[in-house]
Amino acid sequence: MSEPLSVDALTDSQRTALRRLILRLADTKRLLGIRFSDWLLGAPSIETGIAASSMAQDEWGHARLLYSMLKSFGEDPVEVERDRAREAYANAPAVDHEFADWAEVVAGMVVVDGAMTALLAGFAEGRFELASNRIPKMLGEEEFHRDMGLAWLRSLAGSAGRGRVTEAIRAFLPGTLAWMAPGDDAEAELAEAGVIPSGAETLERFRSVYGEAFQALGVSIETSGAGDDFDAARGRGPGAPDEETVERARGDRNRALFVE
Amino acid sequence: MSILEGEVFDVFARKERGDALQHIGYVDAPDIDLARVYAWKTYDELNWFEMCVVPRSAIVPVNRTDGPFAGNALGRPVVGGAR
Repeated sequence: MSEPLSVDALTDSQRTALRRLILRLADTKRLLGIRFSDWLLGAPSIETGIAASSMAQDEWGHARLLYSMLKSFGEDPVEVERDRAREAYANAPAVDHEFADWAEVVAGMVVVDGAMTALLAGFAEGRFELASNRIPKMLGEEEFHRDMGLAWLRSLAGSAGRGRVTEAIRAFLPGTLAWMAPGDDAEAELAEAGVIPSGAETLERFRSVYGEAFQALGVSIETSGAGDDFDAARGRGPGAPDEETVERARGDRNRALFVE
Repeated sequence: MSILEGEVFDVFARKERGDALQHIGYVDAPDIDLARVYAWKTYDELNWFEMCVVPRSAIVPVNRTDGPFAGNALGRPVVGGAR
């Protein structure tokens, strides 16, 4: 096995690429958690709402652990969590706006959460020591997210919701896959350093979990990676979460209570 | 079965290895896969050593002709007498 790697051992461009990766994962988890939390009430059953709420808590806990990795870059994670403008968020575009219906929630589980977990799994197996220490527990919790997403996908696929969930998956997939495996220089640099596997391997990991279920809906998992409008600094396609979402992510309203 | 037509699954768990498996609650779910997720996510207040779900329809009463499982007796005779 390769030697564990700390931030101090990285070149400047590797550090920039690793920081981008951590922010992409942390921001997506923070915002996906918000999207799941919206469905504590209004989910198809009480049990489903409780599960969605619990998944929201998982995502927020994971986000907190990921943001805290930035300490090793000499950054204060609290500032990163509280002070960034929406244009700085590096999340997968599918969570920029709230999910319109339960079909989009399920698409969020299988596409966004699935892609994020594929990326995290490769990160955990790589050389960055904080990732190999902290991520395995997250992956254990994510097994239930995967089961929940796939079970709901099967249910919707066999119901009148089939068309709607297929549409939602088709809408989320391109931007999420380009986010997960952009195939750009930063990704290649991290792969070369042994921090993450190649984008092709990450894509294959995602496909091994969801390929069959998507195939049953006539959806294939393919990506050409980052397009011309890809934002290389953030590692995502164009756009940003809406202002209300970022206010919730930063906790602006909570802190406003304590301002005299 | 439609998405919303659920079945009742009873949830059993033990805190430590060697503890008795205890009934801790139930969930409504359309299938066993979602029952597993719902049980874990609903009853996760303790760090369980083991958790299991059982379709309530699979629990067959031995000594009672009333209660939540009575319908599963399917005409089998009561044994031992009920208190």
